[in-house]
Amino acid sequence: MSSQDDGHEIPVQDEEISNEELRQKLAAELDGLIARMKELDPHYEPPPFSPQGMISFIEKSLRHLAPTLRLEILEKARQLLSEDLFDIETWKGVWYLINYNVKYQIDFVRRRLTGEYETDEWGLDWELVEAIRPFLGFMYRYYWRTRVTGLENIPDYGRALVVANHSGQLPFDGAMIGTAIYNDHPSQRLIRNLYASWFPTLPFVSSFLERMGQVMADVDNGVRLLENDELVGVFPEGYKGVGKLFKDRYKLARFGRGGFVKMALQTGAPMIPTAVVGAEEMYVVVHKSETLARLTGFPYFPISLRFPWLGLLGVIPLPTRWYIDFGQPIPTAEYGPEAANDLILVSQLTNQTRNIIQQMINDRLAQRRSVFL
Amino acid sequence: MMQQQTILVTGVAGYWGARVAQRLLAESGLHVIGIDATPPQELPEGLDFVQADIRNPLMTELLKAERVDTVCHLAFSDSRRRNEANFDLNVMGAMKVFGAAAQAGVRKIVYRSSTAVYGALPQNPAYLSETHPLHGSKQYGYTRYMVEIEEFCNGFRSQQPDLIITSLRFANIVGETAVTPLTTLLRGKVAPVLLGFDPMMQVIHEDDVIEALLHAIRHDAPGAFNVAAPGLMPLTRILALTGVLPVPVLHPLAYWGVQNVRGRFSPARLLPFDPDYLRYRWVADTRKMETELGFTPQYSMEETLRAFATFKRARHTTADDDDALELDKERLRHTLERRQRQRARREQQKEAAQ
Repeated sequence: MSSQDDGHEIPVQDEEISNEELRQKLAAELDGLIARMKELDPHYEPPPFSPQGMISFIEKSLRHLAPTLRLEILEKARQLLSEDLFDIETWKGVWYLINYNVKYQIDFVRRRLTGEYETDEWGLDWELVEAIRPFLGFMYRYYWRTRVTGLENIPDYGRALVVANHSGQLPFDGAMIGTAIYNDHPSQRLIRNLYASWFPTLPFVSSFLERMGQVMADVDNGVRLLENDELVGVFPEGYKGVGKLFKDRYKLARFGRGGFVKMALQTGAPMIPTAVVGAEEMYVVVHKSETLARLTGFPYFPISLRFPWLGLLGVIPLPTRWYIDFGQPIPTAEYGPEAANDLILVSQLTNQTRNIIQQMINDRLAQRRSVFL
Repeated sequence: MMQQQTILVTGVAGYWGARVAQRLLAESGLHVIGIDATPPQELPEGLDFVQADIRNPLMTELLKAERVDTVCHLAFSDSRRRNEANFDLNVMGAMKVFGAAAQAGVRKIVYRSSTAVYGALPQNPAYLSETHPLHGSKQYGYTRYMVEIEEFCNGFRSQQPDLIITSLRFANIVGETAVTPLTTLLRGKVAPVLLGFDPMMQVIHEDDVIEALLHAIRHDAPGAFNVAAPGLMPLTRILALTGVLPVPVLHPLAYWGVQNVRGRFSPARLLPFDPDYLRYRWVADTRKMETELGFTPQYSMEETLRAFATFKRARHTTADDDDALELDKERLRHTLERRQRQRARREQQKEAAQ
């Protein structure tokens, strides 16, 4: 259970009871809680306590609170530290935190039903991002055991455009680039990946992507995001890349029409070439059926060794080892915003970026010894 | 003021016409002519009412004789039905009014349009600017006709360079008294939505619609302008805030039903929108409204919806109810906040002017 909070009324402690009574009551309550937790997950071992771990936990928990509230909580925690650790006040504090968390979970549902929540102009909902994070974190760390290099190439703040190769039939690569930056980059930025205009037509997928802060691919949208100093992710190969056959793996397809370069030039945002290796082997696709694509309305219909023969089982990706390499940024500010109309320059930069990413992929493939290990 | 300015409001017996005329009459130095095919139920004090159809060929004579300066065209049918009568009133009516105005030497035309003219398409950019091509719904009568009028106007503007034509494209209008597609959806206890779709939406308060029309009458601003309250919200949050329970419907079923089922059980009666408008994003860019038109709505999106929710709950409580006082307090608090902000903005503008 993560402890994302929001500004809500704090349960008021009853001051009438004496400290001794309260101590006993608390101990009993805590014992009950421990028993209930153990029932839920008998093998759970809490992580070992260390000051660093505690501080990073507090930092993580407080990240999305309002600054004033953050200060209030930190000051309260600081006060508690200076007193005797076994003082009744400490336990009051612990009880307060637990209460707060439980109340938050109940509140979460209630607030969803009464509309008391916030989204940004693109539809991003932080609470839902936090709710889905554990799953993506699991896939990132334990399922695909992703190795990341070059995170220092992502700026701590300010606009930047991450340009990556696209592969793997389902757009997990975008999700993993986002998780890598959100989990492991010091400034923990949220990347705004641009997705194809086919996704808004799909039920659940469309609203899910929107709530996760992802945005429909469009030059206007990209420019607006970059002007707001956001971190934007693009996959210029599009369907041609994501729907590659197994035999064509790691051969980059054409990089669209250079729309991403126009966005970067217009806003002076640096382009960060990024290579994702490992996603190509998630599914072994041997054929693309045009008839089935037409029938289902999909932009492509992959026939893999397992799909559609095994049904949903065929959708589970293979646990390959992933590598995400962020390359040296390509500066674009020097050309000026008018250069976005210079079609020759746009196509030159498009090809240059494509070659850099292909080279990065080739380097990684040469070093890689096994698809799975 | 040397000469009295004459303003003609069409559709003065209708909701928008009546409210605009009322506000214009409160200003001094204006001669307000109201025109409608049927007389209004109660004639506002001081209104110069003329009973006539806007399609009357003698409109030119009237505009000339009265030396009309500005025409505020609000005689539109908001009906979703597609038929000859609605087409004739909306499209032919607008063309005839604009034609007559041009012939009579009218200086300015202001009319009410909708951001629905851009259409709800999956490939829509996040913000639709005024220059975006118009792909509005062909199924929904009002939108279809509005697209035609807007397209006609684009050509007409270049033919009549001296005539100022201001088109105000309003987002979903929400308010206590206005009857619009979104208020129809929000007035009930349940509302159909499309399963798995939750587009971001925009609204504008009904009072701000009137304010924007008056602003355009007072200030000259040729061209089309999107008018929407600041803020965006997903549809489910709009419904949750106004206490409406969403009932998800499979989207192919909704399209099929709207197309094929007629009569009393037609889903079109429950669904005041073309299903596309509940499926895809159709959010308008309001930067031109702020800069070129110089208009700022009083209500934010959240305030608009909270005000509507308060009104909706108040309808279900009686005067001696305990809740009634609470609701009244809530409403007054919203009003005070809004006035405070308005004052601050006015002072800011004054400072900026100095």
